[in-house]
Amino acid sequence: MNSSNTLPVRKRKRRLSLTTKKAISGWIFVLPFVLGIIMIYGPIVFKSIQISFVSLEGTASREVKEFIGFDNYKRIFEEGANFLEAIMNGIKSLVIQIPSIVIFSLFMAVILNQKMAGRTLFRAIFFLPVILSTGVIAATDASSNALANMESGQVDTNTGEAGFMSSMDLASMLGNIQMGSALVDIVVGLVNDIFDIISRSGVQMLIFLSGLQSISPSIYESCQMEGASAWETFWKITLPMISPMILVNAIYTVIDAFTAPDNNVMGYVQKLLRGGTSGTALGSPIEAVQVGHAMIWVYTALVLVVIVLVALIMKAFVFYQKRD
Amino acid sequence: MDNTPKIKKESKHKIRVEFERAPLWVRIKSKFFSINFLKNVVYVIFRYILLIGVSYVILNPYIKKIFGSFMSPSDLKNPKVILISADPTFDQYKYIITENGYLQAALKTFLIAASIALIETLVCAFIAYGLAKFKFKGNSIVFALVVGILMIPMDAIRHSMMLFFQCFGESNPIGLFLSKIIPNYSNAWIQGSFIPRYILAFTGLGFKNGLFIFMLRQFFRGVPDELEESAYVDGSNTFRTFFSIILPISIPMLITVFIFSFSWQWTDNFYSDIFFTALEPPGTMFDIVSKMPDTLTELIRNHERKTMYQSTVVGTSTILVALPLIIMYCFLQNKIVQGVERSGIVG
Repeated sequence: MNSSNTLPVRKRKRRLSLTTKKAISGWIFVLPFVLGIIMIYGPIVFKSIQISFVSLEGTASREVKEFIGFDNYKRIFEEGANFLEAIMNGIKSLVIQIPSIVIFSLFMAVILNQKMAGRTLFRAIFFLPVILSTGVIAATDASSNALANMESGQVDTNTGEAGFMSSMDLASMLGNIQMGSALVDIVVGLVNDIFDIISRSGVQMLIFLSGLQSISPSIYESCQMEGASAWETFWKITLPMISPMILVNAIYTVIDAFTAPDNNVMGYVQKLLRGGTSGTALGSPIEAVQVGHAMIWVYTALVLVVIVLVALIMKAFVFYQKRD
Repeated sequence: MDNTPKIKKESKHKIRVEFERAPLWVRIKSKFFSINFLKNVVYVIFRYILLIGVSYVILNPYIKKIFGSFMSPSDLKNPKVILISADPTFDQYKYIITENGYLQAALKTFLIAASIALIETLVCAFIAYGLAKFKFKGNSIVFALVVGILMIPMDAIRHSMMLFFQCFGESNPIGLFLSKIIPNYSNAWIQGSFIPRYILAFTGLGFKNGLFIFMLRQFFRGVPDELEESAYVDGSNTFRTFFSIILPISIPMLITVFIFSFSWQWTDNFYSDIFFTALEPPGTMFDIVSKMPDTLTELIRNHERKTMYQSTVVGTSTILVALPLIIMYCFLQNKIVQGVERSGIVG
């Protein structure tokens, strides 16, 4: 791609124009990435998709493969009823979780942006999960929680997040005030997931905070002069000005939540990809790997659809300040 | 009542004015007994309750783990002990540090994580600058690829990435090329080593690098063009401009990216699981957590509440993994917010 840009210029044997020069430097800047995509990531992704279309059965060498078309994909639907169920459950919980992460992080960013005593300390605590709940630490947390549950036989107090009140109490309390049972489920689910929601909002909070910082203080000043209340200022100024960030964060949250190793679907697929066949109708570990690859690409396609949908819906509400 | 201020004393620099102030009680009343003040107080109390509550939720698991890590086997059997140990012990720490080779592993992980984070920060800045400041055909396609890579779950490419780097022989273009030019080529140099991680870092394909490129791109878009134009007028080329003008002014943002990258490399379990299978005993942080010291394994086997003791040990190793990060974070956390505050990431 790089050469196609430079070739016609050489033919003319003229000095390069500024635009061409800038285009060439632009390509040089992104060259490492483009090379990486072509030589490393592309082949890796290609191979992964290839595995979902072949049978690895009885191949001693990893190179010889038999193309079997969409058989692996068909088997998802024939034998992977668990997978479809996991996807449905996953989407159901994410439909609630993703908006709550975005709203929570916006709310917290607005509060952390105000001047108050101890702001630095609170910010430090709030961004701690970005650093700490990843990789090994997150993985061991999940496994040790599972261990603790097995031992104590309790599910509610496992992580101690809702330590003041068990979810049973909460459910009965909400039931008493005549709340619909669907709504009670949602609220109890949110309370149980509160740690998840908070620890996943770190990056989003940072992005919102930077967005809030970039709103000119003079706009707020003029609002105050005109007598607008803080409430009005939030809805009329802060929200429209921050709306591009809401789009970015919504997309980031969708990606983050759907590809998180600890969500239901990923857990299920991970087991298959590592050759585990328990709880499925698959015969051998090799089959599990094939079907697992097919599943994960179906899932990725689904995520893509969700992202496009979210982007299209949000686009309608995003306000871009016109700059000169 | 005449309450116009009267000048009492005048000197060159100072002036003393006397005027009749409203009585103290009236002043207090108007300040503290107004609806506005009440509103503010309620708001401030509400805000602190919320902030402290959320902080509690975030810190609670770590606090529990810290207290749990000092518990001795007898504490776990004792029903009276909930949080604070009756018979504190350092055994868990001692065995993990000595038998698992924690210090060597920490040093090794530090070297790997710091070098990779440095490379990733610079490479991502380089790529992001190209995307932000140069108009060329395919700019938007490259940017779409950056976002697209974020979207592919790591597990989707886990297997094929392992194959790709293990069979650096004839199965992929680079291996094929190397085997053509080097006689008696073997792929042993790349197996079980950390070279693949550096290769990925140099091409901006490492863990969540798409996010870094995105953040930096938005930052560079906010840098005024005039800055570079004046450098060009003074005869500097694009690369010199980038290295001696753009990079220095973006240091706060680069530090933010570096901290993210470093801590994600430090706690990495994805690449360690794939690539470091053949590594010698003092492995990385990944091995500290995934491996149980022999003495403790023995202790756990003889203990009444096996799983509870085991999760205590795992919690202790988690603290050991997190501790260096927390220390670093204490010193650098201000920089994280600063970097992003100045970035003006606006879409």
